[in-house]
Amino acid sequence: MKNTIRQVFHSPKFVIGFIIFAALLLTTIIYPIVVATDPLEMVGNGNFFKPGTYVSVKDAVEGSKYTLNVDVQSASLGSKISAEDKEAMKEWLVKFGGVAEADIDIEDAEGLIGLWEANYSENAEQKGLTSSKKKYYVRLNKNIDGILLNNDVIIAQENSETGELEQSASIGSQEFVNTKDVANRRTFILGTDNFGRDVLTELVHATKTSLRVGLIAGVIATLIGLFLGLISGYVGGVVDDLIMFITNMFTVIPSFVLLILISYSVGQNARGVNLVGIIIGITSWTWTTRSVRSQVISLRNRDHVNLSKLSGHSMMRIVLTDILPYLASYVVMAFILQISSGILAEAQLSMLGLGPSTSNAATLGLMMNWATLYAAPLNGSWWAYFPVVITIALIAFSLNLMNTGLDQVFNPQLRD
Amino acid sequence: MKTRSKKLVALFATVAMTASLLAGCGGGGSNTTEPSDTQATTDDAAATDDAAEATDDAAATDDAAEATDDTAAAGDTNSTPRNETLYFAGQQWGTINDWNPFSTNSNNAMCVQQKDSSRTLIYETMFMFNMLDGQLYPLLATEWAWDDDAMTSMTVKLNADAHWSDGTPLTANDVAYTWDANVKYESSLGMDFPNYVESITAVDDATVSIKCKLDDAGNPTNPLKVQQLLQQMYIMQKAYLEKVEERTGADKEAMKLDKMDDLVASGPYMPFFDDDQKVVFIRDENYWGQAASMWGKLPAPKYIAHVIYADNNAGQVALEAGDVDVCQQFTTDVQKLWEEKNLPITTYIDEPPYGQCATMPSCWMNVEKPGLDQVEVRKAIAMATDFDQIIASAMSNQSPTFAQVPRSTMNPTDGEQAMYDQAAVKDLQFVGKDIEGAKALLDEAGIVDSDGDGIREYNGTPLSFKAECPDGWTDWMASLEIVASSAKEIGIDIQTFFPDTNTFYDDITTGNFEICMNSPSGASITNPWGRCMQFLSSQYADLEVNWSGNWSQYRNDEADEILAKIPLETDEATLKEYYTRLNEIYLTDVPSFALMYRPELFYIVNESVWTGYPMKDDGTNIPPTDCTDGYGIAALYNLTLVE
Repeated sequence: MKNTIRQVFHSPKFVIGFIIFAALLLTTIIYPIVVATDPLEMVGNGNFFKPGTYVSVKDAVEGSKYTLNVDVQSASLGSKISAEDKEAMKEWLVKFGGVAEADIDIEDAEGLIGLWEANYSENAEQKGLTSSKKKYYVRLNKNIDGILLNNDVIIAQENSETGELEQSASIGSQEFVNTKDVANRRTFILGTDNFGRDVLTELVHATKTSLRVGLIAGVIATLIGLFLGLISGYVGGVVDDLIMFITNMFTVIPSFVLLILISYSVGQNARGVNLVGIIIGITSWTWTTRSVRSQVISLRNRDHVNLSKLSGHSMMRIVLTDILPYLASYVVMAFILQISSGILAEAQLSMLGLGPSTSNAATLGLMMNWATLYAAPLNGSWWAYFPVVITIALIAFSLNLMNTGLDQVFNPQLRD
Repeated sequence: MKTRSKKLVALFATVAMTASLLAGCGGGGSNTTEPSDTQATTDDAAATDDAAEATDDAAATDDAAEATDDTAAAGDTNSTPRNETLYFAGQQWGTINDWNPFSTNSNNAMCVQQKDSSRTLIYETMFMFNMLDGQLYPLLATEWAWDDDAMTSMTVKLNADAHWSDGTPLTANDVAYTWDANVKYESSLGMDFPNYVESITAVDDATVSIKCKLDDAGNPTNPLKVQQLLQQMYIMQKAYLEKVEERTGADKEAMKLDKMDDLVASGPYMPFFDDDQKVVFIRDENYWGQAASMWGKLPAPKYIAHVIYADNNAGQVALEAGDVDVCQQFTTDVQKLWEEKNLPITTYIDEPPYGQCATMPSCWMNVEKPGLDQVEVRKAIAMATDFDQIIASAMSNQSPTFAQVPRSTMNPTDGEQAMYDQAAVKDLQFVGKDIEGAKALLDEAGIVDSDGDGIREYNGTPLSFKAECPDGWTDWMASLEIVASSAKEIGIDIQTFFPDTNTFYDDITTGNFEICMNSPSGASITNPWGRCMQFLSSQYADLEVNWSGNWSQYRNDEADEILAKIPLETDEATLKEYYTRLNEIYLTDVPSFALMYRPELFYIVNESVWTGYPMKDDGTNIPPTDCTDGYGIAALYNLTLVE
């Protein structure tokens, strides 16, 4: 046994797969201990907030300030008007503002803005300009309004008695805050999803859920498959025919269709994480049965099995001690593949809305489902779906890698 | 050596597959370049690659040719020149099944849509409703007037210029015959309106007389509904209807099932081409509306096309690519299209809520189900719901919040808001996300969790409900999820259920649901009365199959009484009193509660080919009803090509 394990851990493929899998597993265990927030809490009031640290504006305004002598104007100029904007401004000024093209130097941002502020008018007749373009200029104008003035921003508060605004602070353009000083801040390493939930926290919990579903499904499918395969192969005869009849029937019906039908009829009320795992398990045992059976058939006439029979050992004992150990390596590999396919099946089910319900659990499939429904791939919110895809791929990849590694160790034909 | 040869084989196979893939792409793009040789060598693969590129180029020039050259398209009947075609998305989701306004299961969204504002691309109504000012604008008819103060009959003058697509004049006889046929063949319109309209007769060729149905006291049952008929009923040609009657044997069912693909209509467009990929209408160059008495010209686009997309995402991709001009699809973070992607795309309003909200999709609770018959339970669900989250995330901010427009039976337009006393019902409003308040309300009513499973019981049964809306209606699905997660916090279990659209409508029209989401009617000539009916009238609760409203099946005698008085009341102060009282009842008994405000119709337009769409405050007074409905169709006459 010890030797086998040492052998297994000498296979580089297995080791890589194992490391990836263990890392994922550890993350799902450790992360919730460190970050205790509810993965289903809708924090963000909106769709798909960008990854980053969000600090309270009020705290920032009220907190201690540091004066830094950096050129703030050009940075904010650059963030507010791009090169395209400058081209567009020039175009407008020439077409509708009555400014000669030669008078405009696009490199001189301040000059351009000066010309713009002197000549642009929202209500000017802009013949031939589409509404979207007109609105673009209005937005641009709003954006650069007062950009050149280096005014302080005044913070005012309403006097509760008179109702008048009273200045309480003024913020100069060189004043900075240290984000560490801000008490209220929240970091979303992977942004938020369409419900405003923290994607990273959700992803970790979803991975945990998926691993649990996969494990339950894998255990159930392997147990059923192993049990039926052993009986069918060892006993043979009518029992074999009967079991193979059932197995063949299940093989012919596409298991995913079966899965959908069962999940649908169970209803969402009962469809918790465990039940989904069980449903997946009882629809995916067939090929384990078939391969276990064929292996048992080749084993049952071996000398040591016949010897046991002659010694009068019970069937139970023969199966457990003389046949099962020869299958063990195969069963372990089949089990790993069952976990992997169980996880994929859950993701597929949830994507169809037939998995656990959104308000009860986070699963990888549900995350994908909502990201697609809210068109995350179309509006550039990669953080809502790409990490999920990567996670699913990593789980399946690591399990399959472990499987291949084991195969190389146990399968004499593949041994170097 | 063995493994090496294996690797070689693998490499060879990969190359072969890549090459065949490329060849496949090339073949799909055009017929002109066929990969000469499918033998898989690396050289060959590269060659096919080039060929594929060449095909792409060819396709690009094809596009260009298509855009400029009319004759190029003539060979292929289902492609129309881009600069003469206005492309739509978000209306038609399957192959159209008929062109029949009588049909009860027509899916022909671009042609047959007789709702708050009827769609008048092909069939036309007598008047067009403008949701911006609540007025009727002349179409086939020029004017209407009550004959007396009691509003028992009405006279409508038809436009003398109006004629059919076959050139024959449109007369009062056509109008009368259309009404009779609707009643006789029991179209949905013909089932509803006989409750309010006694008869429609032709006085002379250009004059129609409409008699209202009178109640026992001699008052018209509902003058508002009679006005609604003017903007809702498609006028059909008598001769054509007789032809259809002849071929169907005037059988009720056969009439409703007739495809009517040989239709005669009066509108600016006629069917041109349709299959499972797209629907195309072509302008009727002989359209009567080019007379000075109507539009004075033809609508700008020669063709109206609607490509049938698989889903919202496909439609959005096409919109971004400029393949769609007018798109009525819910789009997450729509402002990103112009703010971040810099596309020439815009909406009616440049900032949230981006459209003209006219209705409020609501959460209806079936008061006949145990648990939901308790007003405390209904109110607690409403109080707990996080409305701000629904509006910000499920709706992507495309709705005013309930802090801006407090919840009522009125839509968020200024006109309707002014018709009730907001201050009087202020104390009845619930702000949402009031978990403690909701818990206290339930505790007080004795509805508590007695077995410790986290779910409260009423009469021993746990409060567990199923909330449904159609699958794929993303914003609604997400809203119900938020309702469910809020309810969980106060110990009420709500599971979401998203069946297909048909099952959903079966469920809600037969009362076979616990909680559902649905929209009351938006802006129409009968509103807000019609919408109050939908929220509170027991008349609808009594229907066996209920398509009309009050899906909660709520009953309240006082509300019924007020609802019966409103249509006959003309004094504004009294009306305001009535509406305020109705809102008190609505907010006290909570048979349903609004989750958000929505435009009934809206558009996102891509201005890479066409421009001149109505925009808020542009002075045109054309409503943003997708350029097709009610007075919104006037937009088609103002469109111009982008220079």
